[in-house]
Amino acid sequence: MVDAAMVREFTDLLSENGVITDEVGLRSYECDGLTGFRQVPALVVLPRDAQEVAGAVRLCAKYGMPFVARGAGTGLSGGAMPVADGVVISLQKLRRILEIDVENRRAVLEPGVYNLEISKAAAPYGLYYAPDPSSQQVCTIGGNVAENSGGAHCLKYGFTTNHVLEMEVVLADGSVVTLGGPTGEQAGPDLRGLFIGSEGTLGVCTKVTVRLLQTPETVRTVLADFPSIEAAGDTVGDIVDAAIIPAAVEMMDSLAMEASEAATGAGLTVESPAALIIELDGPADEVEAEFEHLTAICERHGATRLHVPTEAEERQKVWKGRKAAFAAVGRISPDYIVQDGVVPRTRLAEVLTRIAEMGRDAGLRVANVFHAGDGNLHPLVLYSEAAGEHDVAEKLSTDIAELCVELGGSLSGEHGIGTDKACSMPAMFSEDDLGVMHRVRLAFDPDSRCNPGKLFPTPRLCGERPGKYQPHPLEEAGVIERL
Amino acid sequence: MSETVTPTTVDDLRDAVLDRPGTIRVAGAGTAADWAGTPAPADSVLDLTGLSGIVTHNPGDMTVEVRAGTPFAQLQSELGEHHQRVAVDPARAAEGATLGGLFATADSGPRALQYGSLRDLVIGATIVLADGTVARSGGHVIKNVAGYDLTKVLHGAHGTLGVVAGLVLRLHPTPQATATVAVACDRGASADLARRIADSPAEAVAVQWHAGRLLAVVEGSESGAEARARRLAESVGGELLAPDDATAAWDAHAASVRHRGERAVLRFGVIPSALTGVLDGLDADTGGLDEVTTSPRTGVATVSVPADADVVAAAHRRIAEAGGTSTLRQRPAGAELPALGPAPAAATVLRAVAASLDPDQRLGRGRLAPWIPQPTGVSA
Ligand SMILES: Cc1cc2nc3c(=O)[nH]c(=O)nc-3n(C[C@H](O)[C@H](O)[C@H](O)COP(=O)(O)OP(=O)(O)OC[C@H]3O[C@@H](n4cnc5c(N)ncnc54)[C@H](O)[C@@H]3O)c2cc1C
Repeated sequence: MVDAAMVREFTDLLSENGVITDEVGLRSYECDGLTGFRQVPALVVLPRDAQEVAGAVRLCAKYGMPFVARGAGTGLSGGAMPVADGVVISLQKLRRILEIDVENRRAVLEPGVYNLEISKAAAPYGLYYAPDPSSQQVCTIGGNVAENSGGAHCLKYGFTTNHVLEMEVVLADGSVVTLGGPTGEQAGPDLRGLFIGSEGTLGVCTKVTVRLLQTPETVRTVLADFPSIEAAGDTVGDIVDAAIIPAAVEMMDSLAMEASEAATGAGLTVESPAALIIELDGPADEVEAEFEHLTAICERHGATRLHVPTEAEERQKVWKGRKAAFAAVGRISPDYIVQDGVVPRTRLAEVLTRIAEMGRDAGLRVANVFHAGDGNLHPLVLYSEAAGEHDVAEKLSTDIAELCVELGGSLSGEHGIGTDKACSMPAMFSEDDLGVMHRVRLAFDPDSRCNPGKLFPTPRLCGERPGKYQPHPLEEAGVIERL
Repeated sequence: MSETVTPTTVDDLRDAVLDRPGTIRVAGAGTAADWAGTPAPADSVLDLTGLSGIVTHNPGDMTVEVRAGTPFAQLQSELGEHHQRVAVDPARAAEGATLGGLFATADSGPRALQYGSLRDLVIGATIVLADGTVARSGGHVIKNVAGYDLTKVLHGAHGTLGVVAGLVLRLHPTPQATATVAVACDRGASADLARRIADSPAEAVAVQWHAGRLLAVVEGSESGAEARARRLAESVGGELLAPDDATAAWDAHAASVRHRGERAVLRFGVIPSALTGVLDGLDADTGGLDEVTTSPRTGVATVSVPADADVVAAAHRRIAEAGGTSTLRQRPAGAELPALGPAPAAATVLRAVAASLDPDQRLGRGRLAPWIPQPTGVSA
């Protein structure tokens, strides 16, 4: 429990401004982007640099307090939701870009730097940071590291883990270690890779070195309509068989397009059962040749329209139609839940058929917008809280995630397990698998004070029922879109 | 004398670990038996070459599950029939190295510039711990963030912590064509030249300096790769190598990396801009490096130095002072040489993970010493 002596110690370390104890202040940290799960923390602290983070973690250790690191709070699995009687360590003041190293093509960042700021800072040098979650304007690199975040362009370029070279991490006892190294070549086991995607359960990241890539010479995009979901799925298969690795391949069904078009006027064909947005990038001659091949494949599968934006602006418009789809679903349904399961790409048609059936059985509509290239689905379960459909919707959503596992896939492609899916983990992992993960966790954090109750199923958690999904405040304000 | 067991299934492997008391050394094809720390005498040797072959290959998903003892070259040739590949090219592959061995030793080749190393391409694993626990992590899909990425802990573990029984890998299409551009230049000039190559639109997937030349690989379509390579050659004053010459150049490069002589081999990585300075320093410290291959854009180099404990220790220290890491990659028979540089702060975490996964240090004892120090006193 928080007492005055403890608050005084935190205040001595972080100043008055760095410690939040009032009810209203604490309440603004009660949830992340998964707003159905809420917990008011005992204390919120706002360190200004890595040393203060270490100091704060040491105080938590001294008082035996659990703590949760928090970036921007845009996570969609309840990872940054506070723990009862625990401390939230916000990284929002650690926002400096420490270095853009053009010569070595890397950036050194404090964890609170927003994802998009990295590419903006690198752009003058013809460089960019590849992983592009659609929340990139407002999510932090520290949160990306913790979730191993992805984005539309990760099909070709890989995820956060493929782009982080080195990190400074504060462990649960307050000690500071460096994981990874200045190159991909490390001596000894890859603890860096273990930490990435550990959802804040192994320590607090206070500094990150990422690789920067050269901006591709050419980018070509096509928006293709198809007479059926199957035809669109087969097109993706043939693209893969043709040894083309697009930078991105995204699919939308008619329900998703209906919502998005109403919101954005991006030029999507609402009557079309399915559409693909495919983007190629690379050396000009390669891209032009592959693009020709690609459009031929689309035509072979009966594409009813091929829209090829030529100007960057037009291309942005198409992408907006894709990225706005989630939030836009609010126009056709009072409430919705976003799912994040993954299937092997070759089972896309099968999973979509099954999802449609499950939706029919549950009496609910499901819209589909997803990363088709890597089989990462984002089914949107539409429902009405007012009509008492919440529990049915929640169950349908969980069943869809577990169906993905049954088809040889995963519970989560990018949003993480957090609080949301911890209880589904046994559908994907055996007791032994989870036991080994837990042993590793205890090696880093013997008292389980680092983001406890997340990622691992616990009886307490799995007995509880989550509340309904509500759009993130930033999403409602139109600042970010859900991909 | 240690007894050798050769399991052919994961169950066999688990039983072998459970049935045998004492310490175990895990062996693949033996191509890196003299890498990293000198293994302590082990009660048993677990020979993984019997655990071989592809479990499932899904060409349409571009993933493959492979038993750890599968020779990497054999895996590549089977995948090649489907015009797919694992996009790593370690020099040891040609000698019969197994996939598990390459993974455990964190080996990689020139294409790491573009594709990373096996740590970037492995999407799942089956591991067996010293207490017989069989655990899986990751899965069969490229995109997956469920649970810890446990697999990563065994990358570079050199047979400590756990036994890798099988791996699931992400595949890439085999390019239609590959071309190599060579530019004569000395080591000191290679950094600038490599940067010019990186800044060009050629998108070279590998850039290596070896034997007075910078070699750059361009991959792509039948027409595209060669055209791009030709333009690159023109812009940097190099030549497009004829296919036979390119093969010879890369064979010589691999032979240099695999230098097998009386000297010790070190592999290290530093921030690219520090590479030239570190190499010059090592030259001075060691009385002259030999068999130098470098990757100027990633900052990784392989060099040979005299097999003398003080010299090797000094080399590790110089690299660590430049913020880099280094591993011993060949220990001539009988030589006792430091395998690693000064232990970083993170060694405390490594020891805690080791104590948790293999508390009696049954597996690979000595391989990561002194980062994971050998237990003092009696053996397990
Ligand atoms: C509209 C919308 C769209 C989205 N689109 C995508 C997408 O396309 N792809 C995708 O992958 N995700 C997406 N997300 C999810 C989310 O943005 C990402 O998970 C992001 O990485 C979270 O960053 P954050 O700074 O908000 O982290 P938070 O939500 O604050 O935290 C997330 C987790 O990271 C931990 N954490 C945060 N900072 C640190 C640190 N410094 N050290 C250790 N642990 C830390 C927290 O404890 C928590 O467990 C989307 C979210 C929204 C709301």
